[in-house]
Amino acid sequence: MAREFQRGHKAKISDLTAGTDLYVGVQIAGAGLSIDISCFGLDASEQLSDDRYFVFYNQPKSPEESIQQLGAQAGDTESFRVTLDRVPAHIHKLTFAASIDGAGQMSQIGPGYIRVVAGGEEVVRYSFTGAEFSTERALMIGDFYLKDVWRFAAVGQGFDGGLAALLENFGGEVAEEEPQPEAQPTAHPQSAAAAPGFAPPPQATAPAPAFGAPAPQAPPAPQAPYAPQPPAPPAPPQPSFGASVPAPAPHQPVHSAPTMVGPLVPAPPAAPYGRPPHAPQPPGPPSYGQVPNQQPSYGGQVPPPGPVPAPHGQPAPYGQQPPYGQQPPYGQQPGYPQPAGAAAAPGLTAALSRYKEAPTGARWTPQNHQLMRVDLASGGGQPVLARQGSMVLYQGKVDFSYKGAGFAGRIVGNATGQEMQLMRCTGRGQVFLAENGAHLHAIELQGDGICVSAESVLAFDESLQHEVRRIEGHGIPGGALFTMLFQGTGTVVVKTHGTPVVLPVTPTTFADSNAIVAWSAASQVIISSQVRLRRNAYPGHSGETVNLQFRGAPGNFIVVQPYEV
Amino acid sequence: MNAMNAMNQQLAGYAPTPVTARMENHGPAMLKVAMQSGYDLFARTGSMVAYEGFVQYEPNPPAVRQMASQWLTGEGAPLMKCTGDGLLYLADYGADVVVINLNNDALSVNGTNLLAFDAQLQWGVERVKGMAKFAGQGLFNVQISGTGWVAITSRGTPIVVDCGRGEDETYVDPDALVAWSPNLKVKGKRSFKASSMIGRGSGEAYQMAFSGQGIVVVQPSEDSTDRLRARG
Repeated sequence: MAREFQRGHKAKISDLTAGTDLYVGVQIAGAGLSIDISCFGLDASEQLSDDRYFVFYNQPKSPEESIQQLGAQAGDTESFRVTLDRVPAHIHKLTFAASIDGAGQMSQIGPGYIRVVAGGEEVVRYSFTGAEFSTERALMIGDFYLKDVWRFAAVGQGFDGGLAALLENFGGEVAEEEPQPEAQPTAHPQSAAAAPGFAPPPQATAPAPAFGAPAPQAPPAPQAPYAPQPPAPPAPPQPSFGASVPAPAPHQPVHSAPTMVGPLVPAPPAAPYGRPPHAPQPPGPPSYGQVPNQQPSYGGQVPPPGPVPAPHGQPAPYGQQPPYGQQPPYGQQPGYPQPAGAAAAPGLTAALSRYKEAPTGARWTPQNHQLMRVDLASGGGQPVLARQGSMVLYQGKVDFSYKGAGFAGRIVGNATGQEMQLMRCTGRGQVFLAENGAHLHAIELQGDGICVSAESVLAFDESLQHEVRRIEGHGIPGGALFTMLFQGTGTVVVKTHGTPVVLPVTPTTFADSNAIVAWSAASQVIISSQVRLRRNAYPGHSGETVNLQFRGAPGNFIVVQPYEV
Repeated sequence: MNAMNAMNQQLAGYAPTPVTARMENHGPAMLKVAMQSGYDLFARTGSMVAYEGFVQYEPNPPAVRQMASQWLTGEGAPLMKCTGDGLLYLADYGADVVVINLNNDALSVNGTNLLAFDAQLQWGVERVKGMAKFAGQGLFNVQISGTGWVAITSRGTPIVVDCGRGEDETYVDPDALVAWSPNLKVKGKRSFKASSMIGRGSGEAYQMAFSGQGIVVVQPSEDSTDRLRARG
């Protein structure tokens, strides 16, 4: 279960996960800002005594590859892979830091987070926003640090001077021209202890051999699985991530695994690493454990049912293709990452792995465009109100009770003949919500307000204040448009048919009352009937279309769906 | 002629890709099956949208008739047997198609969500206990096991939930249920409180409760209308 950390929280990694092969994702962004995210490997006195452990865009991995920078993926601005049990002994702390390149300051960033994913599940997350900072230009986000055992801390400390200040803080200096700022110790590892400008690590000064030590155990681990690769590299099927986290067992087979699964692998999911949100489970793990021999035999190359070439002159007759399904051009639902070759591996688990439940973490987690999961226990445990019939699945002890229509339902129902009934979900457990394949959007309110057309509300936290507003106008079906105004702190899930458009409110913003989904509560709505435009639209039509005009200060927005209810 | 070429270019992106497997997706909503003599296929009646080559269809084949006779009331089984050589394209009104290569696995699929499967697989029609819904409306539930290919449909991108994860049972709206592991224990569950109405339907609030180790596949829609069947 993922834990939400606040600034200053600490925990042992072993309490979070049994694994030591961790994925660290950082999301941080701000309009117009260019932000670099790097990882500092510090020694016992918190100094960067070995700059090969400064992992950043120019140096994407540490020598023995225990720290690797993976780039943006899965919703994270930057991601790292950290194999804690391969981090050399002299590295006592891994600090993940963000720094602004160019103009800007940390108060301009939007909501961001650092999260740790192990075994395909997010285990901890620390969220922050720009509001917590002011003129800082760099930010230490979180640490892994060694105090008897490896621990994780949510730091959230800003630095005024940016990357340079950070480096100085760690005992380094920025040499302007040098691609590697503190190159000295690397160049002469033997003299590392003596190198001026770096506080020598008090323990054993980690001379060169010490770095090399882990290397023999872990031969140049194949970078292969992380890069797009030709179909069948001798790549390990990435057992560690997503596997049900093997105990910190003899560790190096985990990643230097070519021996484990030879070149047989048809096409293991080519990019399984850190694809958490939607398909965290590489095909391997027998976590379903139902049919004993269901586990996809990687090397299996299950013979196709019919090896005989099809006689009817197909360009590439089925059955002759050796690699049986390398790149199924399949399931390209836009928007979320998928393993390139998941369908390649035979077996039920493999075929369905892309549809696996997203790792738990936040209270509201979109599973895909059309499904939302709410974890009732997390985030205060307050109940959720959801449209009746929107529950497709739930796990745990959840009570559903009828929420009297006295609230919005009766009004909406009477006026439009279409009743809106809610159910109240309480208890502990996860509820999956969806409705007729509509696209779902979780809108998190933090003290602000939003008006949502009553038909577009799917669910919301009970902690939100809500009231029904009625917009009257001739020509609106039912005589009035019902909207729900949400205010306070919590999440509203809005459904749209198709991909919506979000428009800023300008003096000339109009929307069809049938297609409007939501607008920020601060904008004012005016009914404007544009009779003339459509007078001769078609016989029998009154020619009266009702448009809503919006007025508001800059920063207000409206959401419109490509579908007229 | 030129116009023809231009048109071809614009549509070129939708040309079939080379065959690499018995079953493949052509886009999210269409299934492409490489047919071969000797390797027959069962497909939902009415799901064929195109074919190329020499493919023959046998509606209501004896094997199916026998298998499904318990549930169906003389209307004929909703499966057809496809034989021959060629490429067969199947679809179900734009529903997402999920291709599964069973490797000695077993899967129970809601009949409405079953699109096609290899005839060589072991299969059987079963009733889910307590689910009047399945018995009454000619809906059926197919358990498939063995090694071979299966294609199922889902209205919207499905989600796979691991039942074994939670200590409690997993409850599913039957209208949203697509498939599950057959070794799970299933029971029907009526509404929990007198006043609660969950799921859709006319006052009958059913959930299906799954327990045990296995997976449940759920679609993000409670629309379980059998469109292929409705067409008649």
